[in-house]
Amino acid sequence: MHYDIVIIGAGSVGLPLAYYMAEKGVSLAVIEKEVSPGRGQNRAAIGGVRATHSDPAKIAICRESIRLLSAMKDEHRIDINWKQGGYLYPVYREKDARELRALLKVQEKQDLEIGWIRPERIRELVPGINMSGLLGGTYSPGDGSASPLLTADAYCQLAKRAGADFYFNAKVQHLDTKGRYINAVHTDAGAFSAGLVINCAGAHAREIGLMSGQDFPVNPDSHEAGITEPVQPLFDPMIVDIRPAENSQNYYFYQNTEGQVVFCITPSPLKPGFDCDNTSAFLPSVTRRMINICPRLRYLRVRRTWRGLYPMTPDGFPLIGFNREIENNFLAAGMCGQGFMLGPGLGKILAETLIDHSRSYDFIFTELSPYRTFDNEEALK
Amino acid sequence: MRELIQHPLITVRDKKHVPFTFNGDPYFGNENDAVSSALIANDIHIFSYHHKNHAPQGIFCANGQCSHCTVLIDGLPQKSCITPLKEGMDIRTLDGLPELPGVAEPIGETRDHKETCDVLVIGGGPSGLTASLELAEAGFSVILADDKAALGGKLLLQTHKFFGSTEDCYAGTRGLDIAALLGEKVRRHPGIRVMNNTMIAGIYKDRKAGAFVNNRTYKIIDFKGLLVASGARERSLLFPGNPLPGIYGAGAFQTLVNRDGIKAADRLFIVGSGNVGLIAAYHALQAGIRVKGICDILPRPGGYKVHADKIRRMGVPLYLRHTILHAGGTEKLERVTIAGVGAGQRPLLDTAKTFEVDTLLIAVGLAPVDENYDTAASFGFPVVKTGDADEIAEASSAMFGGRIAGLNMAKRLGRKIRIDPSFHEKAEILKSPPGTTFPKQKTVLDERFRPVIHCVQEIPCNPCETVCPVHAIRLKKRRGNILDVPEYTGGCTGCMKCVAVCPGLAISLARRIGETKAEIILPYEFIPDFTDGDKLDLMNMEGDFLEKGTVKKLRYYKPGRTTLVTLEVSLGNAPDIAGIRVQPEAETRPSKTTSFNYLPDDAILCRCEMITVKQVRDFIREHHVRDMNQLKALRVGMGSCGGRNCSLLLPRIFRELNIPPEAIVENTRRPLSVEIPIHVLANEKHRDSGEG
Repeated sequence: MHYDIVIIGAGSVGLPLAYYMAEKGVSLAVIEKEVSPGRGQNRAAIGGVRATHSDPAKIAICRESIRLLSAMKDEHRIDINWKQGGYLYPVYREKDARELRALLKVQEKQDLEIGWIRPERIRELVPGINMSGLLGGTYSPGDGSASPLLTADAYCQLAKRAGADFYFNAKVQHLDTKGRYINAVHTDAGAFSAGLVINCAGAHAREIGLMSGQDFPVNPDSHEAGITEPVQPLFDPMIVDIRPAENSQNYYFYQNTEGQVVFCITPSPLKPGFDCDNTSAFLPSVTRRMINICPRLRYLRVRRTWRGLYPMTPDGFPLIGFNREIENNFLAAGMCGQGFMLGPGLGKILAETLIDHSRSYDFIFTELSPYRTFDNEEALK
Repeated sequence: MRELIQHPLITVRDKKHVPFTFNGDPYFGNENDAVSSALIANDIHIFSYHHKNHAPQGIFCANGQCSHCTVLIDGLPQKSCITPLKEGMDIRTLDGLPELPGVAEPIGETRDHKETCDVLVIGGGPSGLTASLELAEAGFSVILADDKAALGGKLLLQTHKFFGSTEDCYAGTRGLDIAALLGEKVRRHPGIRVMNNTMIAGIYKDRKAGAFVNNRTYKIIDFKGLLVASGARERSLLFPGNPLPGIYGAGAFQTLVNRDGIKAADRLFIVGSGNVGLIAAYHALQAGIRVKGICDILPRPGGYKVHADKIRRMGVPLYLRHTILHAGGTEKLERVTIAGVGAGQRPLLDTAKTFEVDTLLIAVGLAPVDENYDTAASFGFPVVKTGDADEIAEASSAMFGGRIAGLNMAKRLGRKIRIDPSFHEKAEILKSPPGTTFPKQKTVLDERFRPVIHCVQEIPCNPCETVCPVHAIRLKKRRGNILDVPEYTGGCTGCMKCVAVCPGLAISLARRIGETKAEIILPYEFIPDFTDGDKLDLMNMEGDFLEKGTVKKLRYYKPGRTTLVTLEVSLGNAPDIAGIRVQPEAETRPSKTTSFNYLPDDAILCRCEMITVKQVRDFIREHHVRDMNQLKALRVGMGSCGGRNCSLLLPRIFRELNIPPEAIVENTRRPLSVEIPIHVLANEKHRDSGEG
């Protein structure tokens, strides 16, 4: 089967990309090893979307994501549970205050809507938050959240309507390359040829890259997450606690439009590998942190937990750009756990760049080039 | 109050009455009974209004598996069916989503609770009890985690005498008596630690289980092997009106009536004629509840013939090849309409009959609760499943199967054990569905008592043969096992033991008196409301009225806790009389007016999120769904039950859309299997009691 474009991976990145490209009239196929869309790591994302990063590329991409996701209901009549609740980083340690304030300067330069707020304002935003030792925090009201599941479903439907073909249960077996060209992508669902093959394989991007002899440094580690029963509205923002604790680094939670509190934690030490099975240590440790920062949450009941992958790169930034060795191969992977928030904006930008040949986003491709030197560390992973 | 004042078999305990309030009004209930039972005992059947469509919610699973019975207790949402009633509780209807208290104290001291054992047995029902005993006997340290306050599982709810073999599984003994017997053995065994009120919420990759204990502690249990004996959950049914309060499972009903002693209904109807539905009818009658009828879409009763026959004799009509058309009522169930089915199981609307009932019991089958098994197996842990968690069958087979499972686990853990090959054979026999039905043989009576056997279908059961002191009853040697039907071979001394022991109430004693009269002795498992000289309606084997007989004598046979009634009857009918009618025929008639609204698409498929059949079907069509996980976009599978209920109903929808079962991917199951409060998971030290 021949298409103008073949996207490997129907996940947080591949699905919006499929829609924004198919919308431009190209023939396009999405091939996916799972049985349905979003069954890789999209299902594990908790749904936060923020533009308040520290670097121009991710800021630009996520600004676009926010614009697209917030317009989904009006433009396409699809409810993806978008909620513009903002991001709040409450600060209890002088060290964190210094770091966040330094970051604020960078973020303000980028015209991001973010500022330092006082404890009293934080209490208004999060009634019941632990005020003891609260020094203030940063707040960015323009950020938000949406349901990854509904968003994946929405983009899949939109892409199908725009003419994209989807092939599920289609694990890539090997890439048939000749010289600097991928002749065919061989999958369980047959072979595909295309003018451009885009690797959106998320945690498995390295595996796909190796099939054409390219070792892109994408290595997943895992984080655990959970969701509670729904209750009446408690607070609007995504709350990020950057203090490390025993067995964990930062953790964050928000209340979705259903009324459920969704939470996720970064374990310490990190757990590299593909294992996505729940561990017994997660719930006792994360719940203690939740009660600590917001004691009234103690009465909530946890409904479900899961574990998902952060496809990490050496510096914590995505890898976006053409494969230097293979002409018709493009990489959009290594989202470092931010595939859901980057996906929509990235899809739109890539469609404009790869199909319309827009040059407006060249700074993004320079910054996120897969061949960069990886010597900067992301400030807020 | 709707408490059982009298019951032929359940000891009506003198429980401590404590005051509580419901929506501010004062009430009394039994301390430590489930809050749901205390509410129903006070005729409160609506617990909450659903946050999606404001539909009233009543009791549904009575087992902690769903969240329909959630109420506000002292300001917090709680599942009332797993929360024991305490003095002074402020209980309120939950209207929509709950609001959390605004102020809360800072985090208190926390601590970890850890337990270690060789084998964690999940479930203290018939199979879990016998498995635990086998393992402990083999020298393993066992933790037996059971979600209820008392051991025995569903045995505790069974007032009937058990089928099966006397030798292997206590046949002829009542379920609740077996529970006490086995429970006591387990409690006394030094190798077994029993954790009551403990729900296993998840199995984790680091070979640990998360246990939710007494609604207040989260324990991490380290095990070497896992034995899953967690029983079954009840399947529900799709019909318009299905989410109304008053419609729930037969098992839930047995919990309310036989565990908590609540007369949960006045008039009920049952859908499903398997053993569970048939026994539920028997339990209802024993509790003084009218059973208007049982319907089943099948042409024959699904359960044992002896069960179905005895229920018919008691005066409960069986509507075979009938289906539920509609359940109606404003805030709770008021009426049920059924209709016969034609070709393709299509309902014949002109045959509709409406019954005025306050309760409809769903007894359309069970599904294994085996997700902990699947998880443990996927992690490569030594794991064995048994009882209903393995395969839905009678409790008699579960007891025997549990022993085999225990031995298998011992083997998995490296113990050199030889399992007697006959065990497997016996286990298979005990699991057998009913076999051939033979014609009933003609009996000629003389002046000496003899048994008349009204048991003509092959089922795994032999207490009559075992109990007879003179071996006058023997199983016919057709198959050569306990499935064979019994026959009288002569020599009866009239001791009545067979009459008292038969689980099917299918043996009478009869003798001729003079030229035209006869004397018969029948078992009666109700509190007699008649005395010598009264005339009773007597029925043939399959429940047709034969004649009125005169009571001559009542005897209480203590070992079987059965009343034996001696009656004088006509000689001609005597060999055919098999039982006494319990409820008058007039009580079971349908309403004069038929009233229903047949909109099958309106049936609720996902009760947690109130999603209709139509919504699901349309989504499957539009989105070409083959993966049940995709339905989460509709929130099917995202609710409190985690897809455990709706995933049992979905195959039918896929089938209707001609999507082959092999193309369908099941819902992913993840912990937790029960919602647990954050303060429990954190194990905050409780300020009130100082306990963890």
